[in-house]
Amino acid sequence: MNHFGRGLAVVVATGLCLGGLAAGEPPKVPTGKEPTCGEYGTSVHFEDSPADAARQAKKGEKLVMVLHVSGHFEDPRFT
Amino acid sequence: MNALANPEVGKFVNEHFSSSFQKVATFKIVGNAKQGGNVATYFCAPDGRVLHTIAGPVDAAAFLVEAKWVVETTRKAMKEAGSDGGKFKAYFRTAHAQRLRDEFGLTVDAVTFDPPEAQDEKDALTYRDPSGQPLAPRLPPPPLNGPDVSLAKKELDRRQLNAANSPGAGGVADAKGRRWVLPNQGKVHQILAGHAMVKIERVYGTVFENILGEKISTKPVEVDRPFSWVEKDGNRRVAK
Repeated sequence: MNHFGRGLAVVVATGLCLGGLAAGEPPKVPTGKEPTCGEYGTSVHFEDSPADAARQAKKGEKLVMVLHVSGHFEDPRFT
Repeated sequence: MNALANPEVGKFVNEHFSSSFQKVATFKIVGNAKQGGNVATYFCAPDGRVLHTIAGPVDAAAFLVEAKWVVETTRKAMKEAGSDGGKFKAYFRTAHAQRLRDEFGLTVDAVTFDPPEAQDEKDALTYRDPSGQPLAPRLPPPPLNGPDVSLAKKELDRRQLNAANSPGAGGVADAKGRRWVLPNQGKVHQILAGHAMVKIERVYGTVFENILGEKISTKPVEVDRPFSWVEKDGNRRVAK
């Protein structure tokens, strides 16, 4: 899994992006009413389907995490 | 219990995993209350073969332990097995058996060889379920051999106490009929000692029904009384 090495590149890229933010416009503050697209109120980014996640994982040399839920995904007791 | 909202969990998961979710079971609304509802987390290879599972909701610390274990074990297994898929599978199943021993003091033989599988519906090896085609099979777990005999009684008791204090703890019998305590994660290790690296569609029924006790279903939410003006027998409700 070469993504461990790739992680460094991601960190550098993120740093550059944040640097750009600091120098330019202030970041938008979420109002809380906007949909948290792809994250569903968690800190994890979710792809649309397990097939998409598998494609992304293959591309990014990552593993796949799939949640199986019964009930509301948005219910924090189950996530 | 909201493990996935934890920033540390999010950072680790986003760095090492691509994630998705599916609804696999229904829950029932009786009056205004919700009955049922659960979650299972599967860590898989990109081709959908299951490396590890978390059965039920856990806190952020427990989630991170399991997620880090998967990444670490995958790294070690890849180093150990190279390009040999059979060795990789055997490594993972043995790792699950080892965790069952280390954490709960019980031993199970990892299944490191799978018999040939049926190729299609008409194959002589195809099992035909007389009750119809189930949504997902229930895989038989490898039998527990019993306690790790190298442990002193005090240490075995400590590990069994650890099992009893973990979520979903319940009684299980070993191959000789002796009773032991095994929590949800112990049952996961027992099943995956025999079935790790099996496709997720073959494992999820076992995890959801055998471990979590939830019935998998393609039905949407069941509402006990969807129309307040109609009684359960279908007759219109009469105001008293």
